[in-house]
Amino acid sequence: MNEHVISKQPAGLKQGVPRQSGHAGRIAVRTVMWLFLLITALLTLFPLLMTLTGSLKTGAEMMTGGSLFPARLQFANYAEAWKQANFARYTWNSAFMSLMVTAGTLLVASMAAYVVDRRNFPGKRIYVTVQASMMFISVGAIVLRPQFDLMVALHLNTTLWGVILILVSAHSSTFFMLQGFFKAIPRELDEAAMVDGSGFIRTFFRIILPLLTPGLGVAGLFAFRHAWNEYILPLVFTMTNPKLQTLTVGLANLRYGSSAAMQIHLMMAGACLSILPMLLAYILANKTFIQVTAGSVKG
Amino acid sequence: MIYKWKRLGENSLFLMPSIILTITLGIYPLVWMLRYMFYDYAGYGEALFIGLDNFSRLIRDALFWESVRNTFVFAGGKLLLTLPLSLLLAVILNGRLRGSNLLRGIYFMPTVISTAVISVVFYNIFNSYNGMVNTVLMKLHLVSQPVDWLGPKHAMLTVIIVAVWGAVGNYMLLFLAGLQSIPQDLYESASIDGANAGRRFWNITLPMLAPVAQMVIMLAIIASLKGYESIMVITEGGPIGKTEVMYLYLYKLLFPVSTGSPVTQQLGYGSAVGFASAVIVGAVTGLYFFFSRKMNKVY
Repeated sequence: MNEHVISKQPAGLKQGVPRQSGHAGRIAVRTVMWLFLLITALLTLFPLLMTLTGSLKTGAEMMTGGSLFPARLQFANYAEAWKQANFARYTWNSAFMSLMVTAGTLLVASMAAYVVDRRNFPGKRIYVTVQASMMFISVGAIVLRPQFDLMVALHLNTTLWGVILILVSAHSSTFFMLQGFFKAIPRELDEAAMVDGSGFIRTFFRIILPLLTPGLGVAGLFAFRHAWNEYILPLVFTMTNPKLQTLTVGLANLRYGSSAAMQIHLMMAGACLSILPMLLAYILANKTFIQVTAGSVKG
Repeated sequence: MIYKWKRLGENSLFLMPSIILTITLGIYPLVWMLRYMFYDYAGYGEALFIGLDNFSRLIRDALFWESVRNTFVFAGGKLLLTLPLSLLLAVILNGRLRGSNLLRGIYFMPTVISTAVISVVFYNIFNSYNGMVNTVLMKLHLVSQPVDWLGPKHAMLTVIIVAVWGAVGNYMLLFLAGLQSIPQDLYESASIDGANAGRRFWNITLPMLAPVAQMVIMLAIIASLKGYESIMVITEGGPIGKTEVMYLYLYKLLFPVSTGSPVTQQLGYGSAVGFASAVIVGAVTGLYFFFSRKMNKVY
């Protein structure tokens, strides 16, 4: 399988190297490789394709499960999901929560990263160590309950602010990402601004932060994706508050609806509505996604 | 002197949001859990100190050990499929291949989609009566009767397939990043020395990739031992507890779930289960680190 991959070196180098497989053998290997790649790609796209075609079928078509493609495209499913299955509200909740989490995470993490990158203070190493360990400990379900009880005590459990605060509190990976971006901004810039009489806070918000825009964009994209896709936290917080459900929660709950069996087509339309924004952002920023994720293991 | 205090004030101002959030929503919940694992506490009423009773109950808790077993089956199955597949894709796509960027984009796509939402879709397409998976398999004459994908016999396989679908692209990208950091001249000089593709793979690619692979595999182990979101949506741990994993069991102890569940809310005991689960994940990671320590050394 790997043969042809590595043999795809600059052409000049192959000369003088005895080839083991003949021409026919190489074609066979290439064919197998392409078959493998295409089947894998198809399997990856299959559920997405099913979501899309399912969202355009009638309920009856979904029930019998006969054909892959809808007989007639039912765009009305989207309108119905938007209104009847309450997706307008879910989308608003998801958007509100995700935007607030993104803004909050960027603000909290960039302020902390700036001070840590530019200044020395007692306890700096402890702070950085704690942030680093928060990134690796991420304990999942273990801390959910105390977090929830704390929000109940603060009366923040009846809004989405509880979820927002908890998600913002997990800002350590954004912190480290932004710290890397701050390093690229020359210190002379803040010093010059301060000499000109600009205060610390003003220098940060007026001069440094605008220069960090590309970094904030990347970090924001990741924070937004994380919040948009979050399921467990909004689920826990909306168990007694259906009005606050986000797309992920509202959609998953449709499965338990009394007439859920009749509404698979609406579920699929809803799934499309909740996947599309993220997918669109991904297609537009494909390079950023792939580079940042790939870079994360090197450090 | 005043100057120094001013700087300290500015530093604290910028760090305060981060520190407050980390302490209240990161560290305090951990301390809470460490405390309540010694208490009999249902979530309401009074908490009663019972020493190590929760742990002796844990040792006799058949449901817990069943969930531990399932966790290992789930994680093992997921890793055995995901890691070779993602490495293979990375090696192929690392070559100069037509359409390589498009394929990377496709394989990575599942990573940007909400696990909960896509699990709702999978729940529908694996449905035994009208699910598309059975329809396709029967049209291709691969099976003669619909397979009960969500039944006791195949449910674990189904949730593993869904997990693999969601993870391959991510690890492919991390492996790809590792492959791209291998200097090309190593391959060139090996080619001149007459090493064929297979030898170059075994003697250059694998050893040079080892340090990155060690990190990637560790991340994969931790993620698969802790993952429960998709299982929660697809099977809720059922049927008859066949897909109940450790963290899902923990979730059920900490939050009220549907009335049919054999697990009832118990915060004190849940804390003990959470602690035990974290210890198990930590122990597996530690063991892996010990046995893979040679991978860290290149030459």
